[in-house]
Amino acid sequence: MGTSVQVTPLCGVYNEDPLSYLVSIDGFNLLIDCGWNDHFDTSILHPLSRVATTIDAVLLSHLDTLHLGALPYAMKHLGLSAPVYATEPVFRLGLLTMYDHYLSRKQISEFDLFTLDDIDSAFQNITRLTYSQNYHMTGKGEGIVIAPHVAGHLLGGTVWKITKDGEDVIYAVDFNHRKERHLNGTVLESFVRPAVLITDAYNSLNNQPSRRQRDQEFLDAVMKTLRADGKVLLPVDTAGRILELILILEQYWAQHHLTYPIFFLTYVSSSTIDYAKSFLEWMSDSIAKSFEHTRDNAFLLKHVTLLINKSELDNVPDGPKIVLASMASLEAGFSHDIFVEWAADAKNLVLFTERGQFATLARMLQSDPPPKAVKVTMSKRVPLVGEELIAYEEEQNRMKKEEALKATLIKEEESKATIKAELPVGDAMVIDAGTTHTSSDAAVMHGDAYRDILIDGFVPPSSSAAPMFPFYDKSSEWDDFGEIINPDDYVIKDEDMDQAFMPVGGDIDAKFDEGSASLMLDTTPSKVVSSELTVQVKCSLIYMDFEGRSDGRSIKSILAHVAPLKLVLVHGSAEATEHLKQHCVKHVCPHIFAPQIEETIDVTSDLCAYKVQLSEKLMSNVLFKKLGDYEIAWVDAEVGKTESDMLSLLPLSNPAPAHKSVLVGDIKMADFKQFLASKGVQVEFAGGALRCGEYVTLRKVGDASQKGGAAAIQQIVIEGPLSEEYYKIREYLYSQFYSL
Amino acid sequence: MASTGQQTASLKRRDSLVTREGDQLIITPLGAGNEVGRSCVYMSYKGKTVLFDCGIHPAYSGMAALPYFDEIDPSTIDVLLVTHFHLDHAASLPYFLEKTTFKGRVFMTHATKAIYKLLLSDYVKVSKVSVEDMLFDEQDILRSMDKIEVIDFHQTLEVNGIRFWCYTAGHVLGAAMFMVDIAGVRVLYTGDYSREEDRHLRAAELPQFSPDICIIESTYGVQLHQPRHIREKRFTDVIHSTVAQGGRVLIPAYALGRAQELLLILDEYWSNHPELHNIPIYYASPLAKRCMAVYQTYINAMNEKIRNQFANSNPFDFKHISPLKSIDNFGDVGPSVVMASPGGLQSGLSRQLFDKWCSDKRNACVIPGYVVEGTLAKTIINEPKEVTLMNGLTAPLNMQVHYISFSAHADYAQTSTFLKELMPPNILLVHGAANEMGRLKQKLISLFADRNTKIITPKNCQSVEMYFNSDKMAKTIGKLAEKTPEVGENVSGLLVKKGFSYQILAPDDLHIFSQLSTANVTQRITIPYSGAFGVIKHRLKQIYESVESSTDEESGIPTLRVHDRVTVKQESENHISLHWTADPISDMVSDSIVALVLNASREMPKVVVESEPVVDEAEEEKKAGKIIHALLVSIFGDVKFGENGKLVINVDGKVAQLDKQSGEVESANEGLKERVKTAFRRIQDAVRPIPPSAS
Repeated sequence: MGTSVQVTPLCGVYNEDPLSYLVSIDGFNLLIDCGWNDHFDTSILHPLSRVATTIDAVLLSHLDTLHLGALPYAMKHLGLSAPVYATEPVFRLGLLTMYDHYLSRKQISEFDLFTLDDIDSAFQNITRLTYSQNYHMTGKGEGIVIAPHVAGHLLGGTVWKITKDGEDVIYAVDFNHRKERHLNGTVLESFVRPAVLITDAYNSLNNQPSRRQRDQEFLDAVMKTLRADGKVLLPVDTAGRILELILILEQYWAQHHLTYPIFFLTYVSSSTIDYAKSFLEWMSDSIAKSFEHTRDNAFLLKHVTLLINKSELDNVPDGPKIVLASMASLEAGFSHDIFVEWAADAKNLVLFTERGQFATLARMLQSDPPPKAVKVTMSKRVPLVGEELIAYEEEQNRMKKEEALKATLIKEEESKATIKAELPVGDAMVIDAGTTHTSSDAAVMHGDAYRDILIDGFVPPSSSAAPMFPFYDKSSEWDDFGEIINPDDYVIKDEDMDQAFMPVGGDIDAKFDEGSASLMLDTTPSKVVSSELTVQVKCSLIYMDFEGRSDGRSIKSILAHVAPLKLVLVHGSAEATEHLKQHCVKHVCPHIFAPQIEETIDVTSDLCAYKVQLSEKLMSNVLFKKLGDYEIAWVDAEVGKTESDMLSLLPLSNPAPAHKSVLVGDIKMADFKQFLASKGVQVEFAGGALRCGEYVTLRKVGDASQKGGAAAIQQIVIEGPLSEEYYKIREYLYSQFYSL
Repeated sequence: MASTGQQTASLKRRDSLVTREGDQLIITPLGAGNEVGRSCVYMSYKGKTVLFDCGIHPAYSGMAALPYFDEIDPSTIDVLLVTHFHLDHAASLPYFLEKTTFKGRVFMTHATKAIYKLLLSDYVKVSKVSVEDMLFDEQDILRSMDKIEVIDFHQTLEVNGIRFWCYTAGHVLGAAMFMVDIAGVRVLYTGDYSREEDRHLRAAELPQFSPDICIIESTYGVQLHQPRHIREKRFTDVIHSTVAQGGRVLIPAYALGRAQELLLILDEYWSNHPELHNIPIYYASPLAKRCMAVYQTYINAMNEKIRNQFANSNPFDFKHISPLKSIDNFGDVGPSVVMASPGGLQSGLSRQLFDKWCSDKRNACVIPGYVVEGTLAKTIINEPKEVTLMNGLTAPLNMQVHYISFSAHADYAQTSTFLKELMPPNILLVHGAANEMGRLKQKLISLFADRNTKIITPKNCQSVEMYFNSDKMAKTIGKLAEKTPEVGENVSGLLVKKGFSYQILAPDDLHIFSQLSTANVTQRITIPYSGAFGVIKHRLKQIYESVESSTDEESGIPTLRVHDRVTVKQESENHISLHWTADPISDMVSDSIVALVLNASREMPKVVVESEPVVDEAEEEKKAGKIIHALLVSIFGDVKFGENGKLVINVDGKVAQLDKQSGEVESANEGLKERVKTAFRRIQDAVRPIPPSAS
């Protein structure tokens, strides 16, 4: 039997919720994608929480929150601890995306689902792979090979190919077959006949205009607003599609020598572009080529100003400008604030480049007709003052005291436990360390400066070892030759040099924007003040599809080409999923699954397979015929065993029995028509059949609409009266096939 | 005991396979065999051909610098893999791509490709050879850029059934080690590699899989490097003391690669020693300046340390080092440190400065890396009394010469641990001077004495042949595999080969497991016939064993099914139709039916007498004899009738006598006898009527 494969969606089926699917291959549980929405709604993670601890590996496909947003939370709170695999850009830019979300959220709410440290620790465990790298799983997953392949859509976007025993499970969501400015198209089409394909129905009902036309419309809309002295807001994601938009604008500005300022405003904008500059390997051929030839990095931006703080934007003189700001949902982040400020002015334009997530402000504004006014909550983090500050401090003190009390209790317990044992001086120091976090009333005033080392309120521990400050004897020993030194202290070590060379801070923190760092490290007591207000939406609202996903028609043709043996549909509205399902049943393959959340479907292939060795004796008698990439032959063999107890095929000892002959080849009626015409036969299509010469007709029967590899055996009928022509045409027809 | 057993096994393997040419793996160094420079290694296995590297020899110029390309047919090469951008690994590429019949594909890493162009353009400009001697020009380089494809580290590609991927090699930015897998036989080509992490590069990786053959560099042979920090200290000390005494320091270095590492060291040293701030460091290479963008972009190919530094400031943005365009812009007043290319002091700026400074004993020349045999830099390491200047005069060599190797090549310790962990059964040493290589070989032989590891050091153009018993494994899938067969059972089906993988499947499954499809051709032919259907039935029954008559379910017209293959149907009064599914036998059956129907309609309404044709045995025999004779003449030429109805066959003076009746052959020559016998048997088969039992 083949490899057992089960798919269980955990989130994101029959709707546009974030993506998260459990794929189990021979008992090895792979979590593919771990998404969350912009609301960070914990309720959608319930299915994940039930299985999180059983997961053996996590694969991430794209860098946005929809594909990896829940990773820090799941690692911290749900008990997910499996190794994570992703491409380098998904790792780097995904990290920035999470930072941006966290900082945006923290700014407007008491966000406590995860912290920056949780993000760091979740991402630290990611194993980074390059495209087409075959990574061999070890341990429980022995025999499984995973390989990321180009998906298009976002930088580093991945189509995962998971292989075991020669059977491929392909996970391809949000792919884009079109080549864009900064990305190559997906290579999904190069995989043919995988055992299982998991794909999304998200765009199955959408059709897009050509890229050129869409770009033109986009630029026209932007220019119109700017020329009319308006401001343009593009709510964007943190590090994904923004790169394409920036390139479009950069190129257009350079070509037309425009001077309208463009701002890219997220908490991590400068890091985003810095990383983009170093990811040329992952981008389109044309970007790589232009760098190789001229060493011009496409992301060395000349017209776009990077901002990480809204106050910097406020300092810019009023006037026409473009601001690209996160989040795309308008729910949080700079885009939200700017929208509220600009919405009331009819000159302005808010241009959505992607469909808003469900139940977000962006989605509301994209409805048709757009709402005249929207209610928004303006939230702001302000430092505490007056009574509140005092109250806060008291609360803090109280909490610290409680902690201290707890610590004391624990300490006492410990002391009691160790009382019988010898109590060296070191023990006192341990106690000190244990209470380091307690605080005096005074210390709390200076948020970042406090180093509270006081122990709790002089409660004498019951043990004999009295608490005391650590004391070191500073006096040095002398002998006849002077101070006694340890020569080891003066040896220059390799490591020392390296350290001197290395800047402070670890890998992740180092790359942090100053502004955001100060914000998160700022421990000034603050609170969030919210106010509801109604914003009159007078500005123009436009939605244009710059999502960079293949459209419905292309998806269908790609699926027909890939022709999986089994197809699993996920992610997409119920309507879109149903539509694609109906289409695929007819045109792709009969085994289509569209499971519900937590519904486990078994897509184990019903394939039977066994391996045999082909003996030299047999092979020397086999004559291959070449057909494209393939070579093909008919074999008749007898089964034997090799020394190592493998099955092996040996030549038959007695003459081979006759077998039904097989015609191998793929005939296209149109091609054959041309072929006949070139041989001087009169041919024309008439009523679905090919009329050759005067009497002979040629027909293909069966389901002609099925394409490529999906077709079963072709049925061709040749009809005609007894004539020379009949035999001639039959001869030509035979010439199109290999008979075995 | 064990060793003899192994030996016989390997011998047996050889014997059984020696005849099969496809299993022979050939490796031929076209350059870098027992020498350093012009790396180029040819490899061929199972009709697939790979060329590793394509360099020039820095000590020669013109055609003489090329690898021995005329040993091979460039048009047969499928893939060319370039490990890194150094001239001795990549510089003959424009020539090979543009001036030979090569039509395969070329791969290198992103960083290598970007620097390759800059480096070679510079090489073309700098090399002062006559136009005829130029191997290629700027245009050739640009054209070659379009043909070069890029590969990222660990990315697995497949071209023509050759699978390959690359690992980090250390050495220089973008340097790669290539692993090639042809039909399951893996070959690792290390190129230049270093297992030591330095200021900006990662150490070479240890491949996940052990290769069957490891083609490894042996530049440093059995030498051992000093620890990095000691080398760095010697380097900075020499420079510090020289400039402190008012001397000048010349560092001849390759423009790219190690130079960047040295600059990082110098810049840091200067930063830590404020007293040196008034002493200028020059870096005389506009090329290096141009390459900086590449170094700043492909940071993912560097180590973590330097990538973290990028976060704060660009470490390649040197604070104490200024570029120097040419010697004309160089004031040369007071002490200074100049790093200039080329590294071998052959010509160019480094040579100009050397000529200028060599006679002053305060000055110093620090040679920071491996120097190729035949260059001036190699000569001065031995500190001769005098040197020949570029203008042909001789001058005393008074300046101090220091040789502190920073070249990121593996030393013996690295090589031996690398090989110990990798455990390749075959090791091929290249890229090393003959004596160093010899010493390394001896040492490795003793190291792997207990393991039957073959260590080979081929010279240029000396082919190494190996045989690999690659078991061809096939996967039987689909309907054919529903039951795993027992020994002795038969398996028949389609054998489909793609690349080097085989599948056996039932014809019906072909379209499921491959992009190929099968077809059924149904033929329907109508024949005018106005006679009675019964006549046809009657006649068919006389010819064929199985003729079943029935009636068509829809129209109720009578049909006949002949041998379950061809259906004959009376379509109307005047026509009958035949339909069948095309295959050679059915086609033949249908043809005979057509003939029969036509015959029947022509002879209508005559009743055919079923009389056995009277066969004149003697007549037949005579006829057969004639045919046999004619056929034998066509095979053997000289065939005469001999006595007793025997045929005498004379081939090249060897005579055979054939008895036509019994088929016996008499001949002194065994070979001829056998051949005549076989030929006669086959002719007999063709000429005689098929005996009834044979069907």
